[in-house]
Amino acid sequence: MIISKLKEAIICFKAGRVTLPYPFKPHDPAENFRGRVTVDAEKCIGCAGCAEVCPSRCIIVTDPSPDKRVIEFFLERCTYCARCAEVCPEDAVTATQEFETATNDTQDMHIKVELFMSTCRRCGRCYEPPTPLDRPMETGMRPPAGGNGNGEG
Amino acid sequence: MTSAELIAKLKERFGASVRGVSEINPNKVRVEVAPDSVAPVCEALYRDYGARFIITAGIDSRPERGCFDVDHVFSLDPDKTFVIVRASVPPDAPSLDSITPRVPAAYWAERELYDVVGVKAEGHPDPRRLIMPDDWPDDVFPLRKDVKHGDWPSLGEENADASYPWKPAPEGTSTVVVGPFFPVLEEPAQLRLYVDGERVIDCDYRGFYNHRGIEKMGDSALTYNEIPFIAERICGICGFIHSSCYCETAEEAMGIRAPRRARYIRSLMLEVERIHSHLLWLGIAGHIIGFDTVLMQAWRVREPIMWLCEKITGNRKTYGMNLVGGVRRDIPQEIQPELLEVVDRIEKETAAIIDAVVGDTVLKARLSGVGVLPEEKARELAVVGPTVRGSNLPLDARVDHPYAAYDEIPPKVITHPDCDNWARVVVRLEETIESIRWIREALKQMPDGPIMASDIPEEIPPEQWGVFVVEAPRGEAIHYVVTGGDNRPARWRVRAPTYQNLQALPYLIAQETIADVPITLGSMDPCFSCTERTEIVNVRSGESKVLDQQELLRLSREATERMRGR
Ligand code: SF4
Ligand code: SF4
Repeated sequence: MIISKLKEAIICFKAGRVTLPYPFKPHDPAENFRGRVTVDAEKCIGCAGCAEVCPSRCIIVTDPSPDKRVIEFFLERCTYCARCAEVCPEDAVTATQEFETATNDTQDMHIKVELFMSTCRRCGRCYEPPTPLDRPMETGMRPPAGGNGNGEG
Repeated sequence: MTSAELIAKLKERFGASVRGVSEINPNKVRVEVAPDSVAPVCEALYRDYGARFIITAGIDSRPERGCFDVDHVFSLDPDKTFVIVRASVPPDAPSLDSITPRVPAAYWAERELYDVVGVKAEGHPDPRRLIMPDDWPDDVFPLRKDVKHGDWPSLGEENADASYPWKPAPEGTSTVVVGPFFPVLEEPAQLRLYVDGERVIDCDYRGFYNHRGIEKMGDSALTYNEIPFIAERICGICGFIHSSCYCETAEEAMGIRAPRRARYIRSLMLEVERIHSHLLWLGIAGHIIGFDTVLMQAWRVREPIMWLCEKITGNRKTYGMNLVGGVRRDIPQEIQPELLEVVDRIEKETAAIIDAVVGDTVLKARLSGVGVLPEEKARELAVVGPTVRGSNLPLDARVDHPYAAYDEIPPKVITHPDCDNWARVVVRLEETIESIRWIREALKQMPDGPIMASDIPEEIPPEQWGVFVVEAPRGEAIHYVVTGGDNRPARWRVRAPTYQNLQALPYLIAQETIADVPITLGSMDPCFSCTERTEIVNVRSGESKVLDQQELLRLSREATERMRGR
């Protein structure tokens, strides 16, 4: 009994002080940490890939007018899975090192990207130029007026 | 006995009642039987062929086949085989003979079957609600397909005053209410202890206050590859087991398998999770009995592995590593020495803690001979994990139904003959050391190669199925997936280990003293929200006002409505 109490005491003494002075000194997370996501509006092409995979459905894509697309991140619901960053073809989304996201204003957790898009003449849906879709146009493959270039119509 | 032999025997005994067999492989078979012979077939499986009941899944198959399917899942552990007994019942007033009188372990599963799918288990000894709130309408069954995800039934007047029909207190006993916020585990659950003096005679349990409807999300809102992330949030401590189990199951239903390296990574992370979970539990167990040194030291020892997880996966606890078909991140060569170094340190320090506590006679006196669960009872109640291994039964999903990389490196199954709280402590401590050994072994043998399967099908046909169990730190968790259209399962059934273990609680604490209830419950490492009564005191005026259940319900509903923005 006494011996085991002594052993327990030794374990405690050997451990020494282990608490960190956080939050008085910052504590950086690991390099690969999946923290709060950010979006680079310059890079985003509005493909909606991120919204497609987000398990908590916190990325909402709306097309308020034919040539405008709005991508909104409601990050108060974010699960920090970083799937959006993983699938983004343009690397517009990054999972940052930031983890101190507590706030009393949910607006702090919203990101809104507004993109002016072109409308595809074929399907009528919008896209951000220049994208792979524009290449045919740039190389002179624009459909002739009155037809769609496939010899139809 | 192979599954073919078993089916031959069932056919011989039950003749034309055995209608059809669907098989993924010889170790996973589903037998369709006539509804009126479900109970005798299940009894034969349990009593004569040594099968262990795992869970019941009710499936609303009305859109496809105009019926409800009830699948009772059994395991033949020595033969590494799953047998699912399926009965299809007609859609109007669906009911089926209860198997609980013959297979006691189905007690909760059949109550849940009615709660969520609305198939009545005729002759169930205790047909009370289990999952849904007491004021839930009588005719809304959330897992039916006509209930859409996000639908909120109007809570009419009919059940507005409903409260849980607690078991009447046995003659001569008084009732001690523990909860609804459980004091030692800081989780929502309510326990009513019927006591005679200090002795507990019987008890009744009401939980599921935090029911989140995750299964419903799985079959109506999420897609195959989103489920792993939500599955991981089923548990706040051992979530990775759920995403791994779901992924293995979905892969099986799709007819693919994750590459070998990915399976090693899954197993490695699962063992890492076991180490941190067991150390966490050790701390809590110490805390419950007032031995906070153990709490502080066990959690200190545990911390380095949490940091390492952050380094490997990007988060200390919610790894987010699994996708259907493989894993997202590798465990690169560079980090392996550090992993070894961390587990070495944990091994040394855990050994020091074991050495100290094993000789602690006060501790041992507090735990030995308390919360006894004899082998026979453990088998009857179909408990799992360290709870069953502490009752000397060598049941471990890693060996019984190998998944991930455990077919290549089987772990040693740790058992203890004492069947009491002490036995369960020792089992967990030794398992921590065994996990460390397993990690070393696996890092040596881990093959190179891709970490994501390349043959994931574009289209997944409906009505395929898969079933897997994974040995969580708390015991065996099962996931059962039946594929559907729309890129999501038609049914995703999950059973966490505590579901089965908690059913043993009345047995464990009967005749114990009230003081031993917390640690006995804690010895199962349960992972379990609601208030009936509260008192508001105005500190300035000293006035006090008691809110009764009705008042509180009203306030809670108003708050919910506000939050939902209606
Ligand atoms: S991190 Fe995950 S949950 Fe958060 S926005 Fe990206 S995909 Fe959605
Ligand atoms: S952030 Fe990336 S994935 Fe999302 S819409 Fe923009 S380009 Fe597509």
